Amino acid sequence: MSDAVALAPRAARLNLGGWWVAPPLAVLALLFLYPLILIGRAALIDDSGALNLAAAWGVLNSRAFLNALINTAEIALASTIGCVILGLTLGLILAFAPFPGAGLVAQVIDTFIALPTFLVTLAFTFLYGSAGILNGALTSGLGLDHPPVDFLYSAWGVILAEVTVYTPFVLRPLLAAFSLVDRSQIEVASLLGARPLRIVRQVILPAALPAIVAGGSLCLLLTVNEFGIVLFIGAKGVITLPLLIYSKAIQESDYQGACAIAIVNVALSLALFSLYRAAARRLGG
Amino acid sequence: MTVSAALRGAEVSAAANAAAGSEVAFDKVSVAYRGSVVLKPLTMSVAAGEILAMIGPSGSGKTTALRAVAGFVRPAAGRILIGGTDVTNLPPYERGLAMVVQNYALFPHMRVSENVAFGLNARGAARDLIAQRVEDSLRIVGMSKFASRFPRELSGGQQQRVAIARALAVRPRVLLLDEPLSALDAQIRRSMVEEIARLHADLPDLTILYVTHDQSEALTLADRIAILKDGELSAIGAAGELYRRPPNRFAAEFLGRANLLPVVVERVAQQSGFVEARLGETRVVASGADHPAGAERLLCVRPQNLTLTCEAERSNRIEAVLREIHWQGELTHLVAEIGESILRVVATRLPNPPARGDKLEFFFSPSDANLIVEDGSV
Amino acid sequence: MLVWSLSGRALVWSFAAILLGIVFVAPLAVIICASFSEQWNGILPTGFTLEHYRDAMNGAARDAVYASLVTGLVASLLALVTGAWAALALRARVDQWAGALGLLFFIPSAVPSVSVGLGLLVAFSQKPLLLNGTTAIVFVAHYVLISAFAFGNISAGLSRLAPDYEEVASCLGARPAYRLMHVTLPLVAPYLVAAFGLSFALSMGELGATVMVYPPGWVTMPVAIFGLTDRGDIFSGAALTMILVVVTLALLIGLERAPIRSAAPR
Repeated sequence: MSDAVALAPRAARLNLGGWWVAPPLAVLALLFLYPLILIGRAALIDDSGALNLAAAWGVLNSRAFLNALINTAEIALASTIGCVILGLTLGLILAFAPFPGAGLVAQVIDTFIALPTFLVTLAFTFLYGSAGILNGALTSGLGLDHPPVDFLYSAWGVILAEVTVYTPFVLRPLLAAFSLVDRSQIEVASLLGARPLRIVRQVILPAALPAIVAGGSLCLLLTVNEFGIVLFIGAKGVITLPLLIYSKAIQESDYQGACAIAIVNVALSLALFSLYRAAARRLGG
Repeated sequence: MTVSAALRGAEVSAAANAAAGSEVAFDKVSVAYRGSVVLKPLTMSVAAGEILAMIGPSGSGKTTALRAVAGFVRPAAGRILIGGTDVTNLPPYERGLAMVVQNYALFPHMRVSENVAFGLNARGAARDLIAQRVEDSLRIVGMSKFASRFPRELSGGQQQRVAIARALAVRPRVLLLDEPLSALDAQIRRSMVEEIARLHADLPDLTILYVTHDQSEALTLADRIAILKDGELSAIGAAGELYRRPPNRFAAEFLGRANLLPVVVERVAQQSGFVEARLGETRVVASGADHPAGAERLLCVRPQNLTLTCEAERSNRIEAVLREIHWQGELTHLVAEIGESILRVVATRLPNPPARGDKLEFFFSPSDANLIVEDGSV
Repeated sequence: MLVWSLSGRALVWSFAAILLGIVFVAPLAVIICASFSEQWNGILPTGFTLEHYRDAMNGAARDAVYASLVTGLVASLLALVTGAWAALALRARVDQWAGALGLLFFIPSAVPSVSVGLGLLVAFSQKPLLLNGTTAIVFVAHYVLISAFAFGNISAGLSRLAPDYEEVASCLGARPAYRLMHVTLPLVAPYLVAAFGLSFALSMGELGATVMVYPPGWVTMPVAIFGLTDRGDIFSGAALTMILVVVTLALLIGLERAPIRSAAPR
């Protein structure tokens, strides 16, 4: 009993240092949490200051919102699958069949993370746009009247752009995981007569699975939140949640509607964020 | 603060340190980490100017005890006294200590001289004093030529010398050494052990707490050795005494190879400090007094204290069957069987090597053998 | 080591080359070409010109470069200070709240940028803090979005720092403030620099929150590029994008080369 009494004041003294976290926490609260709370408030209260659930409910029941939600989910899922496939393909080659300069290539791909996302969309306009290189080549080469390739101004254009932009986010953890795979295991397996695909399936992929899950869930989060690519492609039919919030708030000045949609978008993102954290924690442990 | 005032201040603090004394005392110190006890209540003291080695396997609590003295871990209960003052609630930087750790932890962004000056700079000492101390400390460890190098330009042994110079520069009351040599290879380690011994001879007032898992380092350097096991003090004593007369099996085996043969106490000779015991059918005499007749004990004899030749003072004689013999140049290792037990013998000279299966007689002196308990704590 | 035969390797490598070419090289290459071209109607661009860059060097585009640099600098410095502060403070805590608080500092990276912008618009268009229409709200938006990345980078650096250095320092008599300035911060300097570089790069490319909050007269590069391409001036857009890319990369490479190389091994 006397031990417990002796412990108490010392423990309290030790924790005093913990209050140092208060200033950055206050900044975070003022600049991030407070605005987030006000979004929730603005969604439920109309201009006159009265509680008005009907307006928010109306927005969330509208065809525009439901379409945007479906679009967002479809684009994010398709892009993530694309990122995982492309990342896995490139990762396997870079790690297990490295060509001269593979390390440099991996570094260059890594710097794509630091570049703005809309760069790719702009490039796609030149590559696959109605007056772009591909269509130019096809119309002059085949003598066609109309440009035959027109996927760019659809969900496919957004997906392709997002795959380009977000593949590095899958590739990075994958390469880290691949570097931990025991090389002698692969050599032994191939000495025993296993074909490359079998080695990939039975030795490499199981080891890389946590990295795939972590990279994939990060991709899912980032593609749900992606704004620049969708805005730059500017296809009429392709409206995602962030774009809908932007057009409601800035073009229609309908802040209450924008806030109602933002709540859904933020909740979705936070759910995906916790998925990513869980996956990343498994990767770390 | 003027230069002279600062100089005086530093001198005063050094004088205060010396006056305050440098003995270290653990008073029922226990440490818990996340609910589990890593150091059970520990009471022991280290005299001023003494080298105390704390040894034990990993997880024995030896490093925790050292870190409690440094102030990095807070005891759950108990007090730590340095020079008679309770420092339990003092932060590390007010305890007047210095420390050398396994990976040297030299600050990579500072030159050697800046590393050595660090503690004095941190305490706000005067510039002339710092220059003097840096020079002295580097000279003591033989690193004067390297003052303007960066740590990454030095070998492991050189880095460790700098780390020691950095610790000495603040003139600590107590020097804490936490496995200081375990990152070095065997040859450099041996020469560093000798160097630390020489260093202590030059600085006789410096109290040193030395944590290691290497018993030969401890035996070479330490005045006294504390053996820890599972967070508890298993044995403590003067290095030679502890080696010759370990109190229990753990201490006996941790300090070196030992034959531990089960015996039953027969008769205690209170006066002489010897005791008679029965080993199987044989009767042996060993040192040790406080063992009651009829008690089951272990007879501890170091392998090098058993011989095949009978001399006057080696009055004990036991018979064993030779099972293995390994010639290793200078030494020959014999493994024999006595009853259920194994007897290991190290012989320096064997004119007529015996063969496997031979029945041999081994002799040892009562003062080289002692009775110990199976296990226990102090 | 997975593919042993020469023909197999050749096949795999050409596949990789085509993939890399289509996905990563082609987009960068066309942007570079377009930024120097007068026209691009066929397979190859026609007419080499520096016109787009000349345009970018004066008028609205130059203002955009200026606005982006200032915004990036202010927001990144703020993020560096609070990120380092929070990471250091949380490291000192060993209680059950440390994990939860650490997560809280990460959350801004998970929230969509448009919603962050919307939140700032709603919160700071009313008293007590009226920031709407000022450049400060752009700084704040960028700061919020990059703060988590700065915090994360510095936290990762601190967790890689062996505790020995600081323990030895305090044992030698260094008080917490002295230890922070002379040991901890110099040792994590490479991570601070990396955090600053990443923050700056992210700020330079930020679009979602900026389009929500930017006042007239403080148009950042991404917003300006969107304006140009929206009007159909994609060549000028490409030139400004190239400037953005070059400035970002120059900054990242410059910081990487900076003579701050003292990361202590664990």
